[in-house]
Amino acid sequence: MGFIAVFTYIPIAVSLDLSFREWDFLSPTKPFVGFENYRILLSSYDFWNSLKVTAVFTLISVPLRLTLALAIASYLVRETLPSRLLRGALFLPSVTSTVVIAVVFSWVFATDYGLVNAGFGLLGLQKVMWMQDPQLALWVLILVNTWKQLGYDVIIYIAGLQAIPQELYDAAAVDGGRRRHVFRRVTVPLVMPTTYFLLVVSVIEAFQVFTVVDVMTRGGPAGATDMLVNMLYRIGFTLFDIGTGSALAVLLFVFLIALALIKARVIGRRVHYGS
Amino acid sequence: MDLRNRLLVALALAGGLLFLSPALYSIWMSFQTAESYYRGEFDFTLDNYARAIGQYNFARYLLNSLIVSGLVTTAGLAFAVMAAFAFARYRFAGGNLMFGATVATLMIPSHITLIPNYLNLARVGLLDTYAGLILPAVSNGFAAFFLRQYIRGIPRALDEAAYMDGATPLQVLWRVIVPVARPAILSMGLFIFIGEWNNYIWPLVAVGKQDLYTLQVGLARLYKINPGEGAIDWPLVMAASTLTILPVLLGFALIERHLVRGITMGAVK
Repeated sequence: MGFIAVFTYIPIAVSLDLSFREWDFLSPTKPFVGFENYRILLSSYDFWNSLKVTAVFTLISVPLRLTLALAIASYLVRETLPSRLLRGALFLPSVTSTVVIAVVFSWVFATDYGLVNAGFGLLGLQKVMWMQDPQLALWVLILVNTWKQLGYDVIIYIAGLQAIPQELYDAAAVDGGRRRHVFRRVTVPLVMPTTYFLLVVSVIEAFQVFTVVDVMTRGGPAGATDMLVNMLYRIGFTLFDIGTGSALAVLLFVFLIALALIKARVIGRRVHYGS
Repeated sequence: MDLRNRLLVALALAGGLLFLSPALYSIWMSFQTAESYYRGEFDFTLDNYARAIGQYNFARYLLNSLIVSGLVTTAGLAFAVMAAFAFARYRFAGGNLMFGATVATLMIPSHITLIPNYLNLARVGLLDTYAGLILPAVSNGFAAFFLRQYIRGIPRALDEAAYMDGATPLQVLWRVIVPVARPAILSMGLFIFIGEWNNYIWPLVAVGKQDLYTLQVGLARLYKINPGEGAIDWPLVMAASTLTILPVLLGFALIERHLVRGITMGAVK
């Protein structure tokens, strides 16, 4: 309990306090500046760029993950040997180190001696500068994140699909429902609570992405992949602007807490239905 | 198995291998020399591992990661089990409030605590120490919550029988609750260990001294501050990567189904 107070609750209060002060880690004084840090942050190009990048990342990667995951899960839902093998392979990246995944994919998308460009070479295509091109770098990060998280989404969807009563499918079969029809009219609506859960969880996760950014692009080129936590790290630990960094942390905190409350409601409701 | 099933298994294996192929190929790459890699040939060598471990200090990083993750797991489980036992079996003043505060930490994004935790540890001189790496990660609200739910499912009659025989609460916890809750405790320990092993942002912030880098930070530095001009020594980097995931990879092979069950337990009721 003491640990939770010291390392979680007191820091929240400290962050809030620091967000109203100007400080650079070193000066003996921390003058109170009111909402000045927030004003600076909200009027800076970097903040809005970072918010935009994070929003684009989220809006593309979350639907992509969930659609792929549901499609894959509906094939892997049966407890057969091939299904279990594929689930294992898909799930492996989500317990693996993000740093390692980021490093491996830095090689995959490296301009020289990279896997993708080697393939392009075999097809007689030009080399592409995947991570140095502002138009492409964010897409690479989205792909890497999808590769890492897909297995988790699939596992959760499989659990959700297994909870759908078989009678509903039997009834649909008696009525002569086509496969695609059954999927749209039975599976998708009934797996909605799981979708809702994954939606909230993956938005929360997307807003906290840091490791792949830090290892693969460090926010570049030209801010094209400067996600919010990457900006927080830069302001706090490379520019040593504690006040503005804390203000950003507070904004991120408020947003994520709102999402977490939605998530808690979703889980609460489903536990209730289940019992 | 009939032919059709064998075909399906082969297809699934091929699909899985394709999905994992970038990772598998980089492990393969770690066993060849840089020169042969850039020429597009293959010469088997263990030299990359020798260099990563010796010259680039990965033996030390491996040790640091084992110490940090091991202690975070052990201490984290000990605290979580005791908190869970108290929350599950006792009513005490402020108990509900404390339980609420514990569960609420599940929602709190860790980045809000990044700067203040850094400042606190700096103030008490714990930056660049094992304690600074370990302490902020020790309290684990999720583990306490998860284990409390599990312990509540254990019949109280077991405790009461032990109390009749004159056992103290600590003895009941150690001799009755812990053995019965062992599967839950083990899978929780696994989660804590993997999470801490893969932790990146906190060791990155809390440690500047190279001797205290964990594998994750060491690998990121090795990749970013690359030896040589221009061309990255990919086989060396991949050997270091393989060292970084080795323990989790071994663990995964042993307990994959266990792990999956634990994850769906948390998310889907």
